[in-house]
Amino acid sequence: MARRHLIIGGGTAGINAIRTIREEERERSAITLVSAERPYSRMVLPYYLDRSIAESHVYTASPRVLADWGVTAHVGRRATALDAKAGACTLDDGTTVEYDDCLIATGSSPVRAPVPGADGRAVHSFWTLDEARGVLAGIRPRSHVVLVGAGFIAFTILNSILALGARLTIVEVERRILPRMIDDTGAGLVARWLADHGVTVRAGVRLTRIEDAKGGKRLVFAAGAPIVCDLVIMATGIKTNLDWLQGAGVAVNRGVVVDDHLRSSVPNVYAAGDVAEGRDRISGEAAVHAIEPTAQEHGRVVGANMAGRDVRYRGSVIVNIVEVCHLDVASFGAWDDPKAEAASGLKADRPAYRKLLWRGDRLTGAIILGPSSDIWTTNDVGMLKGLVQSGVALGRFRAHLEANPFDVKPAFIASRTTSTLLDETVLGRPAMAPGDTPVAV
Amino acid sequence: MRVLALHPEKCTGCLRCELACSYVQTGAFQPAKSVIRVAPFEGHTSYAPYTCTQCAEGWCMTACPVGAITLNAAGAKAVLDDRCVGCKLCTIACPYGTMFYDPGTRKAFKCNLCDGAPACAEACPTAAITYEETATADWLGDFAHERTARLLEAR
Repeated sequence: MARRHLIIGGGTAGINAIRTIREEERERSAITLVSAERPYSRMVLPYYLDRSIAESHVYTASPRVLADWGVTAHVGRRATALDAKAGACTLDDGTTVEYDDCLIATGSSPVRAPVPGADGRAVHSFWTLDEARGVLAGIRPRSHVVLVGAGFIAFTILNSILALGARLTIVEVERRILPRMIDDTGAGLVARWLADHGVTVRAGVRLTRIEDAKGGKRLVFAAGAPIVCDLVIMATGIKTNLDWLQGAGVAVNRGVVVDDHLRSSVPNVYAAGDVAEGRDRISGEAAVHAIEPTAQEHGRVVGANMAGRDVRYRGSVIVNIVEVCHLDVASFGAWDDPKAEAASGLKADRPAYRKLLWRGDRLTGAIILGPSSDIWTTNDVGMLKGLVQSGVALGRFRAHLEANPFDVKPAFIASRTTSTLLDETVLGRPAMAPGDTPVAV
Repeated sequence: MRVLALHPEKCTGCLRCELACSYVQTGAFQPAKSVIRVAPFEGHTSYAPYTCTQCAEGWCMTACPVGAITLNAAGAKAVLDDRCVGCKLCTIACPYGTMFYDPGTRKAFKCNLCDGAPACAEACPTAAITYEETATADWLGDFAHERTARLLEAR
């Protein structure tokens, strides 16, 4: 009988695992996918929200493509229980799927601030395609939108909301914006930039309730004036979708604990993406990295291992980038490591900001802000990522970067970073083009 | 596969590659849109062109959430404009700093080897850029190491 792979979750990790199984396997296996939603890319929902792409553009694997890949798909179904000992998964319609190995890739879900009215009318999350549809239907030109939470997710849809002609206010419980993505200096620059672009930011305020008000909504705070608006979007964090794994027999910490092959405590059960607690490549420590690139790499490594390869994963690097009204804001690796040495440079008029963090002569983290029209910013984003990812020993070029944080290229090239990077592939072979996944015979 | 081999010791810094690249890629002479870029070394006394290595991993291609980066007939990683949404994930995934973003079109762009007839190699008057059947390599590392180190020591 053909080997039976079960993929639980149709997001980035799950779809990449399926494609990689088909790329790697020598003998045809049976793949079953369980996905609560039609597979789509969450990354591109902001571009659906601003109407620059059609809804059809967000899907990553149509029913036709899944059929081409020879996948038995349970779409619209959720896994409700896993019995790792028996090798079986139960779905919400009572179906039981047996497997030889399985991938847990159930992702994460948005969490709303626990205040009265958080689940009321015209209060949205922006996480799923359904929620994106809801927000899109609710915003009119000149609507006043309040984003609760000033983290990465909020910032990914900021441009889209403005592009729809809405007025925007951001409220944040912490004393500044982007608290888990950039440092105080960077956040200060972004806050001023937002003010210059007509976005109101109120940081350090605690929301206590949301009420209806004359066809709109009123947000009430522990201190300060309330805000009246038309629509509220809660971007107050996400939680890992682990609850359904109670009693599964799989070790869980902040996520499903996985080894360097992304195997859980049960050898034929893998985990990938937001739900997996894998290795942080920079610190070497266990971490949940709920970002798209980690889901993609995790998914590919699991797919290869499920197909019989022996692929060790080196760990994931935290990378985040958002564009805020044509200002690029990015951070990498251990950008907030208090034990690291740091060098920074600021050009407030442009605005442009760099912060580089070191352990010895290796770059372990970086923050970069600059105009998105500036080619050098974009190129340096990549090179700083390359320096952090490769961990190349910079030697005397560290001094050059310290003195010139805006002159990354000579140090990158002269430390032969390209040479180090060229040897690295995630799967130990060249990547295949997205359209080249082998189809079912 | 044929790749762009870069020979930095031959580069005079004339920037013809940037002009030719932007002309073929965008239809206008605008070096700001060139995907090959000449970098100065040793306090602007020497120069070298820098562009995409067409690396085996294809970090840009695997990172793209909508399959908008694929392999063209020349084997180059190439952006499909009608698929790209402009999310910039490729710009942060590429560890070489050779992905670009055009705020005007809201698309990513990169070296696609001009589909097999690279304009930069054609335009280079000193054969500092050649299009050859060879393994891709760190063409500039040793050159830059020596020149940049010399500059640091002079300080």
